[in-house]
Amino acid sequence: MTVTEARVDPAPLTVADTSRQRRLQALGIACGLAAGVWLGAAEAPTKLVTLGLSPVVVSLAMVFGVFLARWSLPALIQGTSYIRADFREAPHLIVWSVLAGALWAVANTLTIFAIRDVGLSIAFPLWNSNSLLGILWGVVLFKELHDADWRRWVGVIGGALLMFGGATVLAVASSAHAAPGNAMRGVIAALTAGVLWGTMYIPYRKAYLTGMSPLAFITFFTIGELVTMTAIAVTFSGGVVPLWRELHAALPVLFWLLLGGFVWVIGDLFQQYAVKYAGITRGIPLSNTNQLWGLAWGVLVFAELRGSSSALLSQVVGGSVIMALGAAVIALSTVSRREHQRWQDTAAREAERYGVDAGFTRARAMGQEAHATTHRRSWLDWAIVCTATAVLVAFAVVARAPQIHARAGWAAALVVVMLVVAAASGTALWRTTRFS
Amino acid sequence: MTARDDAKRARVGSVLRDAQFWIPVLVLIGGLAVLWWIR
Repeated sequence: MTVTEARVDPAPLTVADTSRQRRLQALGIACGLAAGVWLGAAEAPTKLVTLGLSPVVVSLAMVFGVFLARWSLPALIQGTSYIRADFREAPHLIVWSVLAGALWAVANTLTIFAIRDVGLSIAFPLWNSNSLLGILWGVVLFKELHDADWRRWVGVIGGALLMFGGATVLAVASSAHAAPGNAMRGVIAALTAGVLWGTMYIPYRKAYLTGMSPLAFITFFTIGELVTMTAIAVTFSGGVVPLWRELHAALPVLFWLLLGGFVWVIGDLFQQYAVKYAGITRGIPLSNTNQLWGLAWGVLVFAELRGSSSALLSQVVGGSVIMALGAAVIALSTVSRREHQRWQDTAAREAERYGVDAGFTRARAMGQEAHATTHRRSWLDWAIVCTATAVLVAFAVVARAPQIHARAGWAAALVVVMLVVAAASGTALWRTTRFS
Repeated sequence: MTARDDAKRARVGSVLRDAQFWIPVLVLIGGLAVLWWIR
C-alpha cells in the first residue's frame, strides 16, 4: 500500500462554507438527475425475462455485473487504499453497507417478478414510490426538513402527494394491462421493492452523514448483494446444480444482464452522491426520474405499449408526468442554512455514537478530506480492473443478440444522452469533491 | 482479550443498540417473505 498521511484540522464553518454547501447541493441535484438517466437505462436488459429466463437467474446475473462494477470502478477512480482508509475511520459501516446490499438484492429480484407480471412501464413508477418512504425516513431519522420554512415543507410534502397520485393512476392502469391475478402479484412485488429500496436509504444516509465516500461504501454493499442473491437463487432454483444448469442454458444472454448490472451501478453511484450532498428528501425523488427514462426505453426502444388503447396510453403517460412533476417540486425545495445545521448536528451525534473522528465527518460533509493524504493505485487495483474487464469480454464473446424487438436508432440516441450526462456530472464531481 | 477486540465488540454493541439498525433488518425479513410468497 502506498499511503502517506498528515493530520490537518478542518476549517470551522464560515460564510464561505455556506456558499460551498449551496454548490454541493447543486452538485447533488445534478447527480440525482444523472442517476435517473442511468438507472432508467439499467432496467432495459430485464426485458429478457420475456424470453423465458427465470427471474432469479436474471437478478443473479445482474448482481454479478453489479459486483464487477462495484469493485472495478472504485479501484479505477480512487484505488483500494482509499477504500481501506475510509473503513478504518468508520469500521461499523461495514455492517450497514452489507445490510443495504441485502435489501437491494431482494428488491431487485422483486422488480423482475413485477416486470414479468405487469410490464416495465407500469412496474417502474410503482417501485419508485420508494422516494415517499425515503422522505419519511429522512425527516424522522435524520432531521431533514427540520428548521425548514413552510414553503420547503409544502414543496416536499406536496411533491410527495403528486408522486403518490401519479403512482395510483399507473396502478389502476395495470389492471387493464395484465391478467387480474398476475396484476395483483406484480403490483405487490413492485410496491414491496419500493419499501425495500426506500428503507435502503437509511444505511446510505447513515454512511454519508458519517462522512464515508460512496466509492468505499459500495464495495462492501455489493458483498451483501452477491451473498443474498446467491442464497435466493440457490433456494428458488432447487439447489446449486439446477441453478448452474439454468445459468449455463442462459449463457448466450448473460452478457446483457451483466451489462445491465454495470449500468445500474453507474446510476447508483450518482444516486449515492445525490443522497450525500442533497439529502434523501431531495436526492432520491430526483434520481427517481429514472421512471421517465425507463418509460422512454420501454416505449421508444421496446415498443412496449404498441397496440394499447389510447385511454391506457393516456393513463400511463399522465401518471408518469404527474410523478415527475412531484419530483421536480421536491427538488426545487432547497436546503436552508438552518436545515443544514440540523444535518450537521445529526452527523455529530452519529460520529459520537460510533466513535468516529468528528473532523473526518465534518470535512467529508463539505466534500473535502480530513487528512492530507495521497493514495496511489497499486497492482491490486489494476488486477481488479483487468479481471472485471476480462470477465465482461469473455461473456461478450459468447453472447448473441437477444431475439427481442428493439429499435436501434432510439437505443443509440438514449445511449448518447447517457454518456453526455455522465461525463458532465462526473467532471463536476471530480472538480468539486475529488469523489470524496 | 486485546484492546482491538474490545473496540470491535464495542462497535458491534453500538450497532445492535442503534434502533435505526433494526428498521432495515425487519424490512429485509418482510421483503424475503413477500418474495417467497410470489415466486
